Amino acid sequence: MGEEAKEEFEPKIVGFTCNWCTYAAADLAGTSRKKYPPNSRIIRLMCSARLDPMFVLKALLNGADGVFFSGCHPGECHYIKGNFYARRRIAAIRTILKQFGLDDRFKSYWISASEGEKFANTMKSLTEEVKELGPNPLGGKIL
Amino acid sequence: MKGAELKHEDLEGLLKGLLDKGVVDCLVMPHRTGKNVSYMLVKDADKIESAASAIFAPSFSVNAANLVKGWTIKEKVGIVAKPCEIMAAIELIKLKQMDKESMLLIAVDCAGTYTNQVYREHYADIGDEADSAKITELEGKGITIREACAICENKLADEGDIIIAKGAGENVVVAGLTDRGVDALSALDISLEDKDLERAAEKEKIAAEAKAKLASLPELNSLDALEEFLQDCIVCKNCRDVCPVCYCKECFFDQPLGDPVGGDLLNLAELRGAIGLPTGQLFYHLTRVYHVSTTCVGCGACEDACPKDIPLTRFYPVITQKVQEIFKYEPGKDVDEPLPFTAYEEEELEECLR
Repeated sequence: MGEEAKEEFEPKIVGFTCNWCTYAAADLAGTSRKKYPPNSRIIRLMCSARLDPMFVLKALLNGADGVFFSGCHPGECHYIKGNFYARRRIAAIRTILKQFGLDDRFKSYWISASEGEKFANTMKSLTEEVKELGPNPLGGKIL
Repeated sequence: MKGAELKHEDLEGLLKGLLDKGVVDCLVMPHRTGKNVSYMLVKDADKIESAASAIFAPSFSVNAANLVKGWTIKEKVGIVAKPCEIMAAIELIKLKQMDKESMLLIAVDCAGTYTNQVYREHYADIGDEADSAKITELEGKGITIREACAICENKLADEGDIIIAKGAGENVVVAGLTDRGVDALSALDISLEDKDLERAAEKEKIAAEAKAKLASLPELNSLDALEEFLQDCIVCKNCRDVCPVCYCKECFFDQPLGDPVGGDLLNLAELRGAIGLPTGQLFYHLTRVYHVSTTCVGCGACEDACPKDIPLTRFYPVITQKVQEIFKYEPGKDVDEPLPFTAYEEEELEECLR
């Protein structure tokens, strides 16, 4: 891929966020007029524990260039301990993805409802990182 | 550990005793079928014949735990099986697929097993039983044990309620590991004494051999390698059906979203330009490996069941072991230890999050 083509590459990023924290943080980033790249498509979950790791696999296999997950900081779950369970599942799926060199495309964050700025900055850096990685090779494959 | 040293031929009497004395209501145990071995469910002790040659047979047909999966019955069921099968049964108890109180788990020492086909073909060479020396000798002749057995570190029985271990010479040691196991043995006509099985060195040797074998296998460490590995997969889901720890009543891959047909496939093809048929090999296996990631005991039943001869032992046990390592969890060991996905610590796994 030429340098020019790489510059034009706009990654598609799928995000799974918790309703009580990161989704609100995205809202806050919007209402406080924080700019961040439009590459991410956010899917709202009622809790980070709703994230079935199959979602991550399916997004990656369907060609998402990046996938991120974001929930409440550990210990601050709206449902007391949902994100503790989510953390274990994410650790497991990350271990599996790592085996096949896919873990670079999967990021996880803890962003609380008040961290609108952190959300905007995270989206900026995430988009940059995924641009750096280039398109997801799985997207073009006949699977 | 309370146990007794028995003569090889007395083992049959011990198993019959379990039924006759009403310690268990039925036994799930191996029996000889010609040159091979498969499982039977026995109620009548008289039906047990040449038990020792069946339970020590170096042959793997199915994982016995898969046979009793979902038996939430009140009757007492005794299961006589190899360590990997007992380990799977313990995982199933934790997954609430079986009742802990109704199961009497009897683990038998294993030195490694052959597939049904190899065992049948080379029965004359292998015989009724094979110890590790014989297995090594036969390996020289090109008769090899299953790959899952070659990389198995749990060949010595040390889980379940009762173990049947190889003792000095032809003798066997029977010992109770749990209160239930000791109670069961006490009800029989054998005198129990304190038994101390010194097997740490042997265990270490087995683990070292298994690790060396594992290291010699090609590693699936890239997407391309995985794709090539799974290219022949026809998504028949046999590997799921024979897997003892794959236990969902309704599998995602039997539902429309996981098993698309007709118009759904056309939609997918429109989205991607082209899709493979059958589709979803990667999705199926990656999902399945995640689902069994903490509970896979590495029995290799999936590989035996694969009609396309995909060496699935290089995939499932190898990858799940890495997940088990991050949780420091050993499946099938402690029935009271919670499953990793049902527990958590407040501070952990920071390195797994990025």
